[in-house]
Parts: sequence; C-alpha cells; structure tokens
Amino acid sequence: MLIQQVVNGLTLGAIYSLIALGYTLVYGILTMINFAHSEVLMLGAFMALGLAALLPAVFGTGLIGLAGMFILSMAGAGVINVIIERFAYRPLRNISRLAPLISAIGVSIILQNGVFLWISTQSLRFPEPVAIGSVEVLGATISTLQVIILASALILMGLLHFFVEHSKLGKAMRACSDDIDTAGLMGINPDYIIALTFFVGGALGGAAGVLYGMNYGSIKYNLGFLPGAKAFTAAVLGGIGNIRGAVLGGFILGFLEVFASGYIPNGAQWRDVIAFTVLIIVLLVRPSGLLGEKIAEKV
Amino acid sequence: MIFRFVAAVAMIVLSAACGSKETVVKIAVAVPLTGDMGTEGQGLRRAVELAVEEANAAKRFPYKLVAAPYDDRADPKEAVNVANLIISDPRVVAVVGHYNSGCAIPAAKVYARAPVAMVSPAATNPEVTAQQNSKDWSGPRMVFRVVPTDDVQGSYAAMFAYKKLGKRRMTLLHDKSPYGQGLGEQFKKAFIELGGKIVSEDGISVGDKDFKALLTKIKGDSSKPEGIYFGGLYTEAGLLLKQMRELGLNDPFAFISGDGAKTSGIFDVAGDAAGGAYLSIVGIPVEELPSAATFIDNYKKRWTGSGEELKPFDHFGYEAAQVIFAAMERAGGPDRARVIEELKKTKYTGVLGTTTFDGKGDTLNKIVTMTRATAKDRSFPSVK
Repeated sequence: MLIQQVVNGLTLGAIYSLIALGYTLVYGILTMINFAHSEVLMLGAFMALGLAALLPAVFGTGLIGLAGMFILSMAGAGVINVIIERFAYRPLRNISRLAPLISAIGVSIILQNGVFLWISTQSLRFPEPVAIGSVEVLGATISTLQVIILASALILMGLLHFFVEHSKLGKAMRACSDDIDTAGLMGINPDYIIALTFFVGGALGGAAGVLYGMNYGSIKYNLGFLPGAKAFTAAVLGGIGNIRGAVLGGFILGFLEVFASGYIPNGAQWRDVIAFTVLIIVLLVRPSGLLGEKIAEKV
Repeated sequence: MIFRFVAAVAMIVLSAACGSKETVVKIAVAVPLTGDMGTEGQGLRRAVELAVEEANAAKRFPYKLVAAPYDDRADPKEAVNVANLIISDPRVVAVVGHYNSGCAIPAAKVYARAPVAMVSPAATNPEVTAQQNSKDWSGPRMVFRVVPTDDVQGSYAAMFAYKKLGKRRMTLLHDKSPYGQGLGEQFKKAFIELGGKIVSEDGISVGDKDFKALLTKIKGDSSKPEGIYFGGLYTEAGLLLKQMRELGLNDPFAFISGDGAKTSGIFDVAGDAAGGAYLSIVGIPVEELPSAATFIDNYKKRWTGSGEELKPFDHFGYEAAQVIFAAMERAGGPDRARVIEELKKTKYTGVLGTTTFDGKGDTLNKIVTMTRATAKDRSFPSVK
C-alpha cells in the first residue's frame, strides 16, 4: 500500500512539476505570472486529442505514434504561448506590472470560452495511445500509464536542465533572467529570448496536458484551471523563478495530496486544506519559497 | 417629458399586442443546458418541446404554448438567477425543472414567492419537497416531482447489495452535494439496518480528477470492503471506475451508484472500465415500459440529430409537461395559482403509469430498477 501511494504521489507530482515549470520559467525572466498557462495546458490536451485521431495513419499506433503526438502537441502549445506573448504581453511589457497580469487573465478567459463555444462543452473521451497494462511490484499495481507519465516527465525535466545549463541559448536565458537590460547590451536579443522562454514553457505545459488527458481518460474545456492553480502553488512553494524549486514543489504537493487522502481518516475531503495549510506554513517560514533566493527570485 | 415616455410605452405595448395575433403561454424548462450535465438537460428540453409541439398540434389550448429553455448550468447560484428571470415573465405559467437537487432546492424558494408551480423531472433529494414543511417557507406548497426520491433509491441499492450481491462490508463515497450525500446516507442507513457494515466513508469534491490515493486506501483497508457505494454524478463515477480498474479493483469488487451516474457520458469518461458498474434508476428503464413506446417513437421521429438520442430523464421531463398540461386544462386558463391548486389533485396516467402526488408533492409511483453498465454497446440492461 505504501509503495502504491508513493507511485500515485510520483505521478501526480510529475504532472504538477511539468506545469509549475511553465510558470516559473516565465516568472524568472519577466517576473510576471502567466495566468493563461493553464489554458495552454488545456489546449495541449485538445491538440493531442485531435492528433490522436489523425496520427495513427501517419505514424501508426504504439510508442512512435505516442511520441509523434507528444512532440506535435508540445510544439503547438509552445507556438500558442509565443503568440500569446507577442500579442497580449509584449505591447504591455514596459507599461506596468499589473497590465500584463490582467491581460493574462483575459487571454485565459478567451481561450477557455473559445474551446467551450467552438469545440465542446462536454467531457471528451481521450484515447489510450498505447495499450495500458499493469505490473505487480511488491503488492502494488502499477499501470504502464503511470510509468509512461513518470518517464516522460523525467525525460523532459532532464532535457530542460541540459538546455538551460549547458546550451548557449540556455545561457542567454539565464543572462536575461539575471538582468534583462544588461543582457541586451551584451548582444542578446531579449525579445527573442523571451519568446523562446514562452515556447519552452508552453511546450512543457502542452506535454503536461497530454499526460493529464492520458491519466484521467477524458478532457474538458476547463481542465486547466485546477491543475494550473495547484501547479502555480507548487511553483511558489518551491520558490517561483527557480527551476529546481518548481520540480521540488510539484512533487511535494503531489505527495501531500496523496498522503492526506490516503492516510488521514476522511482525508479525501480535507486534502486541499491540508496541502494549502502546509503551503502557508512554508511561506511563513520561508517567504520566498523553499529554494527561492532572499531578494530577487530568479532562475 | 413624462407624457412622452408614457406615450412611447403605450405605443410599444400596443404594437406588441397587434404584432402577435395569438396569446403565448410559456412553460419554462430550467435545466443545465451547458457543462457536464448539459447532455441530460438538453434531453429534457427536447422532451418538453416535443410535449409542447404535440399539445399545439392537437389544439389542446386556445392559446399558443411555448417551451422556454433556461440554462442553470447545474450551478445553484445560476439556478436562483434563472428562477428570478422566470418569475418576472408573466407569460410563464409553470416550470419543468430543475435537474440537480442542489439547484432545485434554492430555486424552489424563488418560485414560492411568485408563486409558480415547479415540477421536477429529476431532482431526487427528499429536501426538494420536504423544505415546504419548514417554518421559514414563505409561499404556498407548489413543488411537485414526478421522480421518486433518494430514500427509495438509496435503500433499494442497499437491499440489492446485501441480498442480491451478498455484500456485507461496503465503503461509502459521496460528492458532498445534496444529491450525492443524500443518496449515500440513505444507502448507509438501509445497509446497516439489514445487518451490513459501512467500513469507511469519504467525501470527494466535484471537479477532482485524482482518486488514486483514496482508492489505494480502500484497496489496502484491513477490514476488506467488498464494494463501493458512490453517491454522485457520472464524471466522478467514471473517474473512480477508471482508476479502480487501474488499481486492480475488479469484479467481484462492486461499484454501485445511482441514477446520476447512469448516462452514456460515463462511457466517455471511463471507457471500458465503466463496464460492470451497478447503477440504480428510478422507475423502469424507458425501453422496457410498454406505456412509453409511443413516446419513444415520436421522440425518435422528432429528434434525429447526433447527440439527440433519448437521455435517461427525458420521459420524466415529458411526463412533467403532461402533468402540467392536464392541470392547465382543468384550471381553465393559464393562471399560475389555479394551476398549482389543480396540480395537487393530479391523477394522470401516461408514460410512467399513474402519477398522483402525496401531501408533500412527491409522486406515489415509486419503482426503482437496478441496471448494469455494459461497455461493449454502451447500454444499461436491467438486472433481474
């Protein structure tokens, strides 16, 4: 039972972490909270649903089809995030800190209602891209789906780490995050780097959307809201702006929820209360989050 | 200035009166038309529209009858807004609605102020009608329903679990809504009276997606529950079923729930995992009702589009409209107060058999059937 709960916590935490990364990357560069991120997540899931109908003809089913669906949905979600940045945030970037925030909320409402009005108001069945089986490990039943979710989340986090720490573009991103004006003076084009950051964050959100759809088997226009809010919490818990913090926060929140509903009597109704109480306590002790720096929270 | 305003109003009223040659009388259909419960609500709207069209075609009334749909989005706050809209339209003579108990309870209080009759085709929490006996009830008794209540459904499910399936230890889950919790409490009461044991009880939140941790706890419970009774709606029921199967909780571990989960939507959420779930419904499945054959035929002729197939509560919606029509005929005119008085004297034989109301406004026609979901053809055959 403990192993089963650990696996449950890891799967939930992996999804939260992926979404939290999208919030934290954007915050790291612009100190702005991209409230439309939860809708990028939702659109990623809807694109995957559309692709799942089209792709088997191109890639076939199985792991290649799954990978194809993943990569295209991620690219699509990334492009959407870049478009949102270009038209809704960039014109407001130097006006005030509140303007892009309100703009983000507006974008979120537009996207959600767009899907609501044009695509579907109902839950849509999300197909299983590969046959789902389960394996027994020490008395725990682990579905291959959970393995896929955990593996793809960890691979993506590894790629992100490599990209940010060891590539030239990643270096430019870190430079912009430290001081965007100075980075501009050093020959880095900040507009380009910001767009790139939105692309990467959006792609991770899109991936999380696909995983979310696979995990729960159905998707709906408002699916982004709850995990978006939770992941934002995770990002704050870990120290918003800090990449490792987002991953840590995501997993902590996932485990908190699982253990609250698994081990506390009647915990299922209290799990959000328990999770958020812990969040408040952590923030009281460490106002900038677990891994956040004291003054400027940056990547 | 004032004179000009009055003149303008008078002209508008006059032109409106001249424009419409016949008087229009409305039956409000207050149900969720969008959102998760939208499919069920749309079905009810179609059923009432069919009833209205039939009544107009047969020239049952000397005026034109119109079904006016209102979307309460399955949201109690929205239901109150909608109810206020409805009572402010003097052409509305009665309301068919609401779908959810959570909406019907507060909306009924608004209708009581008018007062205008509300006939619910689907809200099953006992409180929907019982609240009329409370001290702070501000209007006359005007709530009716053609659908049996949760106490009938919950206790039937308990008997089914105990006697038919031989279960002695069950786990209770509910979605904390008036419907879900009400159903769960009735199940618990009846199951304990029969000699069974409720080994654990948990509430979940509507909108939650992840029940793995909770189900893992149930699976590992040392008192070995033999099944889950869930009070709630199909989205959460579907997610529970899917995640149960993923954790290896298969037959004979039973999943029993009520009519809120018995809709084809459960197959959209859970896929094949929905197969094997026991879902009780009030009344007899409409396909097995001989008195409903004409209704089903006409419905299928009138509504042919995709997604316009018969939904689980449509025959109740149709019957609610028929009961109102009969009361309107006896009342001799579209008068709200007289329709309420006539509804109390209802003795109507139609699709559901004979409907009469008890002192609270609940139907005396109380039959419950247990069905079992079959994933292959997305159907719910009844368990004999």
